Amino acid sequence: MAKWGMVIDLDKCTGCQACTTACAMENNTLPGESWQDVLYYHEGSYPSAQMKWLPRPCMQCENPSCVHVCPTRATYKDMDAGGIVFVDWNKCIGCKYCMIACPYGVRFYADEKPLLEPDLRDIFPGQKGQLWSPPYQNPEEDWTRGIGVQPKGVVSKCTFCHHKVSKAPPGTPDLDEDNPALKEYVPACVRTCAPKARYFGDLDNPDSNVNRLIGDKHGVRLKDSSGNKPQVYYLGAGAGVPAFQPKPRS
Amino acid sequence: MSNENVMKGAMGTQLLLLSVVVLVISFGFAMMSIMSQGHASFNTNSNIPWGQPIATYLYFALASSGLGMIAALPLVFGFKQFYPIVKRAIFLAFIILISGMAVLAMELGHVFRMLWVIPFNMQIQSAMFWMGVFYVADLLFLLWKMQKMDAGDWDSKTSKQIAIGSFLAVLLASGNLALIFGMMSMRPFWFDGLLPIYFYLTAVASGLAALVFFTYLSHGFSRNKMSQPLQDLMNGALPKLFAAVLGGTLLFIAVRAITGVYTNNPEIYLVWRDYLFASPVYQASLWLGILLPFVLMLSKSLRNQPGTQMLVAVLVFGGLFAERFYFVVGGQVVPLFKGTWEWDLIQYSPSATEWALTFMGSALLFTLYLLGEKVLNLSAMPPAQK
Amino acid sequence: MKLLETLMNRRRFLKSTAATGAAGAAVGGFAGLSGLAPAKQAQAQAPRGQTTVTKNICAQCPARCGIDVYTTNGRVHGIYGDTGNPIANGKLCPKGHLGSYFLYDPDRFKGPMKRTNPRKGRDEDPGFVPISWDEALDTVAARMQNLRDKGESHRFAHFYGRGWGASDAGLYGDFGKLYGTPNSAIGHASMCAEGSKRAKQATDGNNSYNSYDYKNTNYILNFGASFLEAFRPYNYLMQVWGHMRSKSPMTRITTIDVRMNPTMAASDRAVYIKPGTDGAMALAIAHVMLTEGLWDKEFVGDFNDGQNRFRTGRRIPRGSFNAKWTYGLEEWWNEELKDRTPEWAESITSVPARTIIAVAREFGTTRPAMAIMERGPTAHTNGTYNGMAIHALNALSGCMFAEGGMYYQMGPSYGGLPVNADDFMDDYAKSVQGKYPRIDKARTPEWPMTAHMMQEAGPNHLKGDPYKMDTAMFFYTNPIWSAPDPKVWEEALKDVFIIDTSHFPGETAMYADIVMPDHTYLERLQDSPTYPFEGWPMAALRVPAVDPIYDTKHFGDTLIELGKRIKGPMGEFYKALNNTENVLRHRAKGFERDPGDNGVNSFESWKEKGVWYKKPYHWRQFRGEFYEWDGQGYNHLMSEEEVKAKLIKTPTGKFEFKSGFLENHADYIHREMGVPTHRVGLVQWVEPKHSGEGDLYLVSPKTPLHAEGRSGNIPHAIANHQPIVGGKTTVYLEIHPDTARARNIRNGDKVRIKSNLGSIEAYCRYMPAHRPDTLVLPMEHGHWAQGRWAKGRLPGHSGDITENVSDPISGLAAYYTGKVTVERA
Repeated sequence: MAKWGMVIDLDKCTGCQACTTACAMENNTLPGESWQDVLYYHEGSYPSAQMKWLPRPCMQCENPSCVHVCPTRATYKDMDAGGIVFVDWNKCIGCKYCMIACPYGVRFYADEKPLLEPDLRDIFPGQKGQLWSPPYQNPEEDWTRGIGVQPKGVVSKCTFCHHKVSKAPPGTPDLDEDNPALKEYVPACVRTCAPKARYFGDLDNPDSNVNRLIGDKHGVRLKDSSGNKPQVYYLGAGAGVPAFQPKPRS
Repeated sequence: MSNENVMKGAMGTQLLLLSVVVLVISFGFAMMSIMSQGHASFNTNSNIPWGQPIATYLYFALASSGLGMIAALPLVFGFKQFYPIVKRAIFLAFIILISGMAVLAMELGHVFRMLWVIPFNMQIQSAMFWMGVFYVADLLFLLWKMQKMDAGDWDSKTSKQIAIGSFLAVLLASGNLALIFGMMSMRPFWFDGLLPIYFYLTAVASGLAALVFFTYLSHGFSRNKMSQPLQDLMNGALPKLFAAVLGGTLLFIAVRAITGVYTNNPEIYLVWRDYLFASPVYQASLWLGILLPFVLMLSKSLRNQPGTQMLVAVLVFGGLFAERFYFVVGGQVVPLFKGTWEWDLIQYSPSATEWALTFMGSALLFTLYLLGEKVLNLSAMPPAQK
Repeated sequence: MKLLETLMNRRRFLKSTAATGAAGAAVGGFAGLSGLAPAKQAQAQAPRGQTTVTKNICAQCPARCGIDVYTTNGRVHGIYGDTGNPIANGKLCPKGHLGSYFLYDPDRFKGPMKRTNPRKGRDEDPGFVPISWDEALDTVAARMQNLRDKGESHRFAHFYGRGWGASDAGLYGDFGKLYGTPNSAIGHASMCAEGSKRAKQATDGNNSYNSYDYKNTNYILNFGASFLEAFRPYNYLMQVWGHMRSKSPMTRITTIDVRMNPTMAASDRAVYIKPGTDGAMALAIAHVMLTEGLWDKEFVGDFNDGQNRFRTGRRIPRGSFNAKWTYGLEEWWNEELKDRTPEWAESITSVPARTIIAVAREFGTTRPAMAIMERGPTAHTNGTYNGMAIHALNALSGCMFAEGGMYYQMGPSYGGLPVNADDFMDDYAKSVQGKYPRIDKARTPEWPMTAHMMQEAGPNHLKGDPYKMDTAMFFYTNPIWSAPDPKVWEEALKDVFIIDTSHFPGETAMYADIVMPDHTYLERLQDSPTYPFEGWPMAALRVPAVDPIYDTKHFGDTLIELGKRIKGPMGEFYKALNNTENVLRHRAKGFERDPGDNGVNSFESWKEKGVWYKKPYHWRQFRGEFYEWDGQGYNHLMSEEEVKAKLIKTPTGKFEFKSGFLENHADYIHREMGVPTHRVGLVQWVEPKHSGEGDLYLVSPKTPLHAEGRSGNIPHAIANHQPIVGGKTTVYLEIHPDTARARNIRNGDKVRIKSNLGSIEAYCRYMPAHRPDTLVLPMEHGHWAQGRWAKGRLPGHSGDITENVSDPISGLAAYYTGKVTVERA
């Protein structure tokens, strides 16, 4: 089985957030429930200020702290699915310990106050146990892997679009959206990335393009000190995420 | 026998009625809002997943553990002067834990699912799993010990073994509870291997506060109505222990605060500087809820006075509740990977529903306590000690 | 009869939709479809139903990206870029994916309606009641017929914003001619980006946006085109950005803008400039290129003796320069450029002279190198002159029509319509031709060089000058909100019979007497020739993904149905035209003679592939010679006459640094702008005139999630609209901390932004990366009618404090030229 990895080239990323909206529509997440998000930072002042950004999916860690803390094995790393970290919505009890334990802040408990009023969940009320049921929802659904619209009271997260990726022909080193035969298997965020800043492939295959890129361009993993060993690598300047500093009030 | 338990009388009945009313209202309100809005009725969210209900649970669970540890003084370590409060302590430990678990149950997304998925999946890597194991063990030992004591079995071999087992369960449960937070290296405000010690100390402090408060309550806030051994305890070892434990708590807060403010790591010092110390509520709870009681209890003349003791108990209730709240929330206020989407420390204050859960837990505790006072003889002691 | 006809149309429409579904499913090479079938893994659940894919074109910005629309069990659930579409190449921008919202928008108009409350205004409930399409069409047609019978047909006006192609806005011309109104249609160009078009018309004779060969360029000097936010085609620009930034050699990019933005941040060099002064910087760059001998001698020409005589402050002798494809360089230098030094420019622009010199040297020594621009420099009173100065750099670098340079867009090989409108003009139509000016006075002595002046139509109606409108029909435009100083429109349109065709509520729709809602783009059969792109011709097609889910009608069909109801030959014309599908079938006949590169040679194959295109671009300038494609290669060396006819369409047939186009309107320019008549043709520096007495500039940029008119009501768009300072539920006013502190404004405060027109409120956030003299408020919210999420959401609308001031030459509304004050609210 492949070990799926993602490479994000920050020198090419334009910060447009198409990955975020593609993910939101593919996976029917609520506003603010950004399984895939783009984070913006700015430092310095006019006329020499810098602004940078960082697309942030789930890191699908090799050593996922969220999995270790889950008391029910609802969140689990599936080595038979390329090492993707899933949440089994049939097992999740909504204790949210995994959200505490994730160093990257990529888990969501959408059973929360709506970001925007009026609440979409009132406009498209949930059916068949779903938290909400948008008319445009993706027909793919697999609650044992946290795919589809979640029920109430569970944690949701990026699945590396397992419902697409899992259908790729076995042994494919790279899921390249430019290959028409493969594009349907590419995660939504990678598939739509206009500047081609994202790549998806098999980290276990030394011949894969993702490994070549990581090698050639010195890929780094976010917060490597966490020891979580993400399966998402970043290339280029800008991978240094500034530490949090509150903004001046006055 | 000078035991004149006023809770067995009309006053107890009135209090019981009041507690039941508060319980029904708070539970009803919380249940209705959770049924209609789900956890959107909480002010917790994906950035602050754990809020006041978790802090309330933590507060109750640790108060229970503290009581368990106090009970171990006579039952395990032979400090016989503590016998007068031991049955009440064990009983309180049991019902406070029940109340805490009730609050937690309302906080979880799927509480009933928990009952089967945890045992069937045996995720021994998770501290949360062990929390379940140890607190269930704790609960069972407490129940067993209570049953033994109520049957008048104070010092059979089994009874002593149960006491030892109960003490171990308490240590494991509260120590493990500390590690749920203390092992989270990605939450540096919590990350601390000595956190169990801090939890033990504060657990005993809140246990003592509960014990003092409820002991006085059951005696109509009158020292004279207490039995002589109990009076001796209240004039001697107990306030000293209370003072020592409060001192230890202060010491722990101080070293955590000093290292926290000293460090350059913004995920720690910002929490101390801009969240805890910036909050008047936290300041008040620290100075009035912990330091002032400690100062009062240091004074030999003051600490033995019933009024001081009751005041200290109430202050420590509040002080430690705030301590739990700011501890739980403080670990989460620094946004994790949010960029400009979160431009400040994350703001959180509990919703009406979350407050209702805190009230519900407290009302459940009072209700069970008053029922206990009515049905059981919580002032009972081994015959030899009378 | 009419009912029967409608039914027939409806049935045919349904049939074609069904066929589309089948065609979509059968699209060859769609390997993914098998992947969507029930999977092999035991645990994975099967998708619920069969999925079809139809071709469409996104409608959320002008880019016209081809999209694949995924539909299962009659529900659209996925939109991705169409791999076979040369703009989209399988990719999308953040807006594209949100298209399903348009279809399932809970605030959609669900069918034709009429107004019951005669009073109109912000606080008036129109009291819409549903009516049948026949009633709606008959009502409007009767009104039009009545006007025509009275000889007042000119008082009927069409207004449109985003016209797509032959099947909608393409029908306007004939409609106006046959009906007899000069106002068919008033376009929104002057509220869009007309400035760059006019700058190019004035210098190289093409009244058009450029096409660009970004893939082969090595240097981009970007003046205020927010390349990575809103410049079109945005999706393609990001694709090409990825290419430019990883090719060898990497394309170097310098961006000049008035605020920090993603384009500035991602460029190699970010240059902050004072609003409205880009032209001064461009002139200084030209000055340095000439004094340092960095101009492209093969395109521009050279001194007779090969010695560079351009010396700062010194004239060159007449006749000493031998121009090649340029005209007026000597005069330009002597009368303007010789004194436009970097130091001079620094005093105007606030850009350090050393930066200007560095940029000029880079730009001058890199080939191919192009200077691009859009609304930033041109939405000012001096916009055309700014634009000309910038475009002049493209002549100096020799990138006009060169590989890695700039082209102009070719049109598609469309077939003709089945009928010719000229054959159906009755005496009345002929008699009113040219009799009345347009209501917006475009192309009148008041605005002689403009194509459209929509922002003037409302005020003109209010004044009754040149006349009062009777009836106005709106398509894809909402001037009651989007025009500068929109409150004038709120007043003006109160006594006009309004027909709105939008499928969602908007401010203009709230004034409608009749609503005739269009389909959403996912329900339409609609063509769309490309906006200027890479130059070679292309025309994409929208194919309905689902049957219209409500009782809506294709706008083109609405027009045709109205036409059919007018008595006389006009009605006959539209009966012959029949419907939009018929129009498209005739347009597609052109492809039979000229099959596309992807094999599209018929209406059916067009529907299947969603796009017809034919590479390559037909012309190429190489080392100062122009060549034309002969089917094999760029083998035909073009004569000067051919170049003038096909490429450089100026009076001289050369790139003009001294514009004949402007000189033809010398008196007007002198009168309006104070430029001496003998100088009007020169590419030159003209001071911008800022409206308002405030001390701060206000810019109201579009962001990547600004979906034409609708993102204010799309929850996911609102939530992601302003990532720079994290506006999740509102849009913040971005303000430099020093500017804020000086006014006692704290980070996060509610503030009031005031101009001469009034004030709006917003919450602010400190943004130290902006100029201290410039406030930034992305335009999106402040709607008073746009749906449940948009309504009443702060901040206020920037248009409310934007005065109706336009560049006299292009007519482009000077949206970014207002000066305001800000204070704590």
